[in-house]
Order: sequence, then C-alpha cells, then structure tokens
Amino acid sequence: MNPQGIEFRDATKRYAGRAEAALDGLTLEVRPGEVCVLVGPSGAGKTTALKLVNRLVELDAGDVLVGGRSVREADVTALRRGIGYVIQQAGLFPHLDVAANVATVPRLLGWPRARTRARVAELLDLVGLDPATYGRLYPAQLSGGQRQRVGLARALAADPGVLLMDEPFGALDPITRTRLQEEFLALQREVRKTVVFVTHDVDEAVMLADRIGVLREGGVLAQYATPDELLAAPADGFVARFLGADRGLKRLALRRLGDVELEPASLLADGDPRLPAATSLRDAVSAMLADGRDRCGVAENGALRGSLSLDRVVEVLGRDGAR
Amino acid sequence: MNGPVIPEFGRGSDCVRDRELFCADWVADNWRGVLLPRLVEHVELTLVAVAVGFVIAFAAALAAHRVPRLETPFALIAAFLYTIPSLALFQLLVPITGLTVATVQIALVGYTLLILFRNVLTGLRSAPADALEAARGMGLTRRQTLLRVELPLALPALLAGVRIAVVTTVSLATVAAFVLPRGLGQPIFDALREFFTTKLIAAGLLAVLLAVAADALLVLLGRALTPWTRARRAA
Repeated sequence: MNPQGIEFRDATKRYAGRAEAALDGLTLEVRPGEVCVLVGPSGAGKTTALKLVNRLVELDAGDVLVGGRSVREADVTALRRGIGYVIQQAGLFPHLDVAANVATVPRLLGWPRARTRARVAELLDLVGLDPATYGRLYPAQLSGGQRQRVGLARALAADPGVLLMDEPFGALDPITRTRLQEEFLALQREVRKTVVFVTHDVDEAVMLADRIGVLREGGVLAQYATPDELLAAPADGFVARFLGADRGLKRLALRRLGDVELEPASLLADGDPRLPAATSLRDAVSAMLADGRDRCGVAENGALRGSLSLDRVVEVLGRDGAR
Repeated sequence: MNGPVIPEFGRGSDCVRDRELFCADWVADNWRGVLLPRLVEHVELTLVAVAVGFVIAFAAALAAHRVPRLETPFALIAAFLYTIPSLALFQLLVPITGLTVATVQIALVGYTLLILFRNVLTGLRSAPADALEAARGMGLTRRQTLLRVELPLALPALLAGVRIAVVTTVSLATVAAFVLPRGLGQPIFDALREFFTTKLIAAGLLAVLLAVAADALLVLLGRALTPWTRARRAA
C-alpha cells in the first residue's frame, strides 16, 4: 500500500483526574513516506500522540487524519488493521509460533492460506530471519532482538500505509539496538512507510528521523524540524538542554565525509589519517584529534579523493546552520 | 440348636471363608459381576460432576473476567459450598432431592466449583499485558482477543484446575454410596459392614488407580494442547 500522510490538528487529550493535559493542541504533519520521531521526557505525551493515530487513545478535542480521513470517522477495527503497530516488549503471542504470529492480521483479513504463507516467508526474509529456521519457533525460543524483528514483520504483514513504533528498540542491549536501527533504516528505504516513532533517546531520533517532534511536559510541542535544523538551531533552552551539550557533535554525526565539498588531496601531510568516505564527520574529527592532526585524507574505493581540515568542518556546519 | 449366623459366601475359597486380609481369587471371581460395573459407575459420576462443574465455573469465570466486580461474590459462593462437610451436605439435600443421582451430583458439582472457577479466572488473566496491547493495536475485537489469545493462554491453568477437580471428585464420589448404591463407594461401604477387607482393599485400590490414570491422561492432554509451554530457548 502507498504510504499515507498523517496530520495532527490541534489534537488534545486529558486523562481523568489530572489537571495537566497529556497532549495539548498538537499540530504537525507527517508527509507520506517520512519517519517522524517524537521525543521528550516522560509525561510529555509522546505515546499518547502515537496512540491517537490507531485510537488506542481517543481524542478529547482536535483531530487526527490518516490519508486525509479523520480517525474519528473510521471504523476502529478496520483502522487498526490498516496500521502497523510495534511496541517495546514486541507483544508476540506466546502460544503461537513465529509464522502464526506474523500471519495474525492477514488471517483476520481472511487472506487465502497460500498467500498468507508466501507473505510470511517474504517478511521473515525481509527482517533477516530465515523462514525455514524461525517459522516454527515459539517467542520464548527467541532472543530480544529476534522477537523485535518478528514484531516488525507482524506489523508489516498486511502491507499497511502507516507504521506506529512505540520505543521498539528500548529494551534491547546497545549492540543489538544499533544493528536493528541500521536494519530499520535499510528496510524503510525499501518499503517506504509513513512512520511515527516514539523514543526518549535523542541519538536514536537523530539517526532515524526525517523530522523530529520535541514534546515537553504538559504535552506541548516545543519544536518540529529536521534533525539538522533542530541540532543547529534549538527553538529554546528546553530543547537545547534536551538535545544535550554535545548537540554540535550529534550534528557532525549526521554527515559523512563523502557528503562534503573536499579540499585538494595535495594539502595532506605525512601522518594525516586517511579515512573511508563513509566515515561520519564526528568519527573523522575524533580520528584527527586522536592523531593530533588538523587534516585527514578521504579515500573511496582505495583511491584518495581529497582532504578535509578541522577549519573546513567548522565552515561546513556554520554555513548549513545559517541556512 | 441355632448356631451363630454365618453369612453366605457361596463357593468362597478357604481364603474368603477364613477372612484373610486379601484374597486375589475373590477379586478374580467378582471382577465382572461387582468391581467393573462399580468402576464404570464411578467414572460416570466423576465425568458428569466435573463436566457440569466446569460449564458452571467457566461461565462464571468468563463473566468475572469481563466484569471484575463479580469475582468476589462468585468466589464467596464457591468457597461456601466447598467448606460444607460432604456428609452433612448429602444429609441436607436428601429431604429436597431424595435418594437420587441429583443429590449426589449437586454435592459433587458443588465441590468442583471453587477450584475450577479460580483456575479458569487465573488462566484468563494470565495473558501478558504486551500481547493484549498488541492484539488491540492490530484490530482484534474483544471476542477475537478472547478466542485467539486469552483462552489458549488460559489452558495451562485451566487444565491444572481440571486435574485437581477430577482427582478430588474421584475420591469424594466414594462417599456418594451414602446416598445411592453406586460407584466404588458401594463395595467399600459393604466391606465395612461385612468386615471383609478384600473388598475394601480392591475397591479402594481401584479408586486410587482411577485417580492416577485420569491425572496422567490429563497431563498428556495438556502436553498435546499446550506445546508452547515446553518450548525453551536452545542454550
């Protein structure tokens, strides 16, 4: 299915018995095929916002549109079956094997068996699990990372236009988390879903997002911008503090050596580090500092393409920030 | 002239005439005529009691799962029935329902309710919160969640309850002979009156074997129905 846009229009939610709103007049648009990551401290309404989309939480005021249609008017069961949903603990059914878990929504939709079976195999392949090996295993037999992969495959099973991911990698160890984040990016390039992703991890948001929405306590949107814009120009002190003192370095992590306009390789001196073009500027600066040099060489396919100085790095960030 | 009244033991062996502790030949002679029919009756009493008890307890547990307020009153009623001494309950019921199977069954069913209600309800509540959240998020209706998620996950606790109920009922059903000449309780009562230990031991042993066999059968059934409970991560 083609990705559908999501639009929050002054969306508001209050829980009974609490003075402060959980989400207060959220207005933002997620374009079709984009990854919108919602970040913020706990109690800022990230998960509430996400659950408004599939109506696990009902709106008090305002509206949420999926593919141009208000969720208020949609049949709630049909709406949910058309939206992929991934949660932190994966939420796999313990009594069903991996294949049956992935087949949940196709079965609800009454797909023919053969089509469901083929789709399950395709999806397990897509998330990097061999269907022949993993299809017959029960969730209890999987590692945390494998469970999360199955959860993602299950969410994608009926080819939804929209994917909601509520801290999907939050419970994983750092190595597994990084690997799943990278795989998610690769997968997203392939399947192109509109994604709303909730996390409290700024690095994860910067890595995965096309746009980041920063929410503050009381469910107010503090800023909605691309990762680069956000890191270069936080809207206020709260956003700057939330992004962390190393937001300059986080910005460097967004760029690769191959992305910047390089200086001639002839400027290189003996002892300057030589780095592959896929290295992030952050890692390049770190390598220069480690070697005590102010310039590095950039190599691609074994050939030297040019060089980059620390001054040039500062220039690049300054120019982009002023944009 | 009238000597002591000697009971008629028919073509009894020396062992039977001498009232020895256990006479295997009596068991062999009376297997078809006495023991087997009583055993079949006993199985019948147990099956009907557990089946009826299960239907009532299951319905009550479903209701309490849906409306949590109902749990306490249901549990209190079941606990009250459970605490009445069985002989007293039979005595109480006889004036109302007479010396009938109904009297026996009402009592037996009453004793299964507490354990079955508790276990079914515990089972229904054992579905992990994240699985239920995912089920809602994927668009399963309440009914589909119950049938496809909660009920299968309730099976281990439910079957554990049925095992206890069956074993308890097999043992309790022997007391039913107090009301009705049925089941393995009858030869036991006879044996007590006749001071005939062979009958007592044979019938008692059959009751024990029946309980053990039923329990083993239910364990096998549980294994077949809940394969996921034995699935563990390879080391």
